[in-house]
Amino acid sequence: MVTLDLAHLSVREANRRLRELGAAGDDVEILNPDAKHHIGVGLVHPITVKVRGSAGYFCAGLTHGARFEIDSNVGWGVGDNIYDGTVIVGGNAGAVAGVAIRGAEVIIKGNMGSRAGQVMKAGTLLCCGNASFMAGTMMYGGRIVILGRSGERLGEDMTGGEIFVAGGIDSLGTDAVETDISKTETDSILEFLERHKIPFQGHFSKVVNAGAKLRYTTPEPTLRNQPTTVAMAGGFWNAKTQEDIEVKAVTGRYRVRGYGTSRAIPHFNDIAFRRDILPDEGAVSKVNLAMELGSRSGAKPLSLSMPVLIAPMSYGALSRSTKLALGIASRLSRIAENTGEGGMIQEERDEAGQLIFQCLSGRLGWNVRDMQKADAIEIYISQGAKPGLGGQLMASKVTPELASIRGIPPGIDLRSPSRHPDVLGADDLVIKIEEFREATGYAKPISVKLGAGRVKDDIKIAFKDGFDFVELDGLQGSTGAASAEVIEHVGIPTLAAIVEAIDALREVGARKNEMPIVLMGGIKDGVDAAKAIALGAGAVAVGTAALIAGGCISCMRCQAGYCVTGIATQNPEHEKRFRTDVEAHNIHRFLESMRWQLAAIVHGLGKTDVHQLCRDDLVALTPEAAAITGLPYEARS
Amino acid sequence: MLDGCQHRGPDSTGFALYGAGDAETYRLRFYVGTGPLAEKSVQRIGDVLAREGAQLLSGERVGGSYAASVRHKGPVQKFAYAMEHAAKLFSLGHRLEIVKDEGTAHEVDERYHLGKVEGSHGLGHVRLATESAVKPEAAHPFWATGFSDIAIVHNGQITNYWKWRRRLEKLGFEFRTDNDSELIAVYLAKKLSGGASLRQALSDSIEDMDGTFSFLVSTETEIGYAKDRLAAKPMVMVETDDLVAIASEEVSLNRLFPGQALSTREPLPGTIGTWSRSI
Ligand SMILES: Cc1cc2nc3c(=O)[nH]c(=O)nc-3n(C[C@H](O)[C@H](O)[C@H](O)COP(=O)(O)O)c2cc1C
Repeated sequence: MVTLDLAHLSVREANRRLRELGAAGDDVEILNPDAKHHIGVGLVHPITVKVRGSAGYFCAGLTHGARFEIDSNVGWGVGDNIYDGTVIVGGNAGAVAGVAIRGAEVIIKGNMGSRAGQVMKAGTLLCCGNASFMAGTMMYGGRIVILGRSGERLGEDMTGGEIFVAGGIDSLGTDAVETDISKTETDSILEFLERHKIPFQGHFSKVVNAGAKLRYTTPEPTLRNQPTTVAMAGGFWNAKTQEDIEVKAVTGRYRVRGYGTSRAIPHFNDIAFRRDILPDEGAVSKVNLAMELGSRSGAKPLSLSMPVLIAPMSYGALSRSTKLALGIASRLSRIAENTGEGGMIQEERDEAGQLIFQCLSGRLGWNVRDMQKADAIEIYISQGAKPGLGGQLMASKVTPELASIRGIPPGIDLRSPSRHPDVLGADDLVIKIEEFREATGYAKPISVKLGAGRVKDDIKIAFKDGFDFVELDGLQGSTGAASAEVIEHVGIPTLAAIVEAIDALREVGARKNEMPIVLMGGIKDGVDAAKAIALGAGAVAVGTAALIAGGCISCMRCQAGYCVTGIATQNPEHEKRFRTDVEAHNIHRFLESMRWQLAAIVHGLGKTDVHQLCRDDLVALTPEAAAITGLPYEARS
Repeated sequence: MLDGCQHRGPDSTGFALYGAGDAETYRLRFYVGTGPLAEKSVQRIGDVLAREGAQLLSGERVGGSYAASVRHKGPVQKFAYAMEHAAKLFSLGHRLEIVKDEGTAHEVDERYHLGKVEGSHGLGHVRLATESAVKPEAAHPFWATGFSDIAIVHNGQITNYWKWRRRLEKLGFEFRTDNDSELIAVYLAKKLSGGASLRQALSDSIEDMDGTFSFLVSTETEIGYAKDRLAAKPMVMVETDDLVAIASEEVSLNRLFPGQALSTREPLPGTIGTWSRSI
């Protein structure tokens, strides 16, 4: 047993040593833990770690295979996202104990705080004392065993898994119900207790999901489905409005659909370049478009051949073939791809030269192994299409394969939480980012995805909390599924978002591109990209445009699951229609057209580097665009 | 305790401390800064004190603050508002003094010689400034502007802030910041001055305040906490026969009991608690 003394070592240094000792197969004893955060984070070797005292937040978080024994208490999120392994806490645990575990045994000898086991997928969370309120909220699988009493709203909105309570329940949460416990289940718990030498006598009540909220009742009829081109045609009594009303007359609820806004909003078309631009065929070789992204904290940055990225889009919303095509196209164009919600698929990792791995509130498909394979880590707070909502994936897309990657029951109308279990403020966020950095040895850039709402506040927080870059998504941004009300009516336009972001950065004294903003939400070509960069963005990302290049017909039915082009579907028959290699090259050629446009503009304006573009190059074409951007309305220079 | 959780707020640190005090005099802590304007502020404070018929017993500049002992008869609220208009008034009370400034717990302690203060209870806070300026007046704790001896520290966000602010302003209360912590302080102080117990005031606050919050409040003789119904903000506590200590994280509590295993407790969502002590 090797001893590491936190009275003399920083947690960062101790964790680094721990990983080395883990690789060598040595067990470790940690002295003077002093309730410090992140002890053991990122350990992926099957060793035993004894913590002599109390640990802080995320003790044993993002680990795989190790055994942790903590003598005293732990803070929030003990065992966060453990893939497999054991954690034994001698004292009490703070809030969200066992958050998002994917197969561990987490044992709390004392009491545990609120929202324990939130979004857990598999494994056992045992509390020998009492549990505070909302244990098992939004859990997807696994079991929680409480030997003492449970607080209020037990199992709130759980979608899978079981909760067993021996000491009484204060109250059940919505969509949770008590049911009979079987002999096999009791035996299995008793075996578990015996194996961990925990004396127990008594009986359990069992709580499971009641199922009332798992699925939408009446499905949406597909009547004369109108594409976005119709919706955008103008006027408000258009055919899309009619369709909406007719569908609602059947379902009696809000509509869930894919795609972005379908109405006119001030956008990049409403601004223009001030000077004549003479296109030059050879511009690409005459200017610099390449950049690095994500070096602010000293991590290894992404290397982009031009300031364009593929926007995060999930495997789930999109078919596997589409994810592969995006990966291939991004590699061919030497830019970066992004997993989006729902985990990383190995072929996507292999195809994409550089891949950002996204962490969402439901922690679906999120795990330390894939974090370590990623080139950058991104924490999703919100997106332009649906600020304040969690991810949605309709039952038709939740196939067994997809469910197993995400760690959820197949065939449910999946809704992930609207906020992270363990990030409820700027102060928590600092601790979460630090956990990600520990898990990846401080080697990978960490970004944040933000939907544009209170952009100024959010950007200031992002800057303060030390993100390497921000992906900022305006109101126009698309989605795989969200309620139309939110898609159309929540958030601020992309144009306003970048202006506010740059103002915020100036107010906090940030240097230009010290924390680059990757702008997205309705970027349709290299001209938009050039305008965005002239307004201060460090780079742009394309979602919808890349999908259209790959064959999307803009029908706005990404949520439905039967996308005829094989893009937004999990149905193998439909997916067959998508020819991965062909579409990969189509997307790649589209990206190259963006490169040519960017280069032509930079060169035409007499500049040599894309980041020399600036506001002075632009004018506003409409009073609205002038009001939003502060650009001159008339070009009279 | 505060240096333990400085990672939550490296920018500024503040303390609300309750010393021996006496019922005859008020202690006023102003922030005057250290530059050439500081002397002017002190002068203006003197003028306004005189105008308000208050007697300045002693005045001293410590760090960026000016601490005055004052005798004053008459309604405290009117007097407090007058002084608050004279300069940045951080606190007023018979026993309360709020000291807050840019920097870490150790830096502020050193600047203001806090190690020497003796008293019965107090609050502390470290702040993460996400706005452009790290200003002493934006630091916590907040004094319940206009009320003697009431202070608060708060983590979270009150979403019906403007609704309550307008309501209280209509009743004649003044606010010197747009900070929701100040709102909670004034809200509670108003309840207390209307005769409510601290328990009652805190219980009401859980009904009336929307959003996420964990806060601690202190009066001349009591401290209390309230926690929102979602338990969105951290809070852990330890209670012994001699003391109660509450913090965001256990690492802070450990400072009081080095090397000991603590039996900590996380207050339940939607609950309050109060403790009192007379000196
Ligand atoms: C099918 C689809 C799935 C998406 N999935 C995610 C996701 O998992 N995570 C995320 O941050 N954004 C997601 N988005 C939003 C995009 O990342 C991006 O913000 C948006 O599409 C940008 O606007 P654009 O499509 O106009 O380029 C998705 C968008 C689409 C169209």
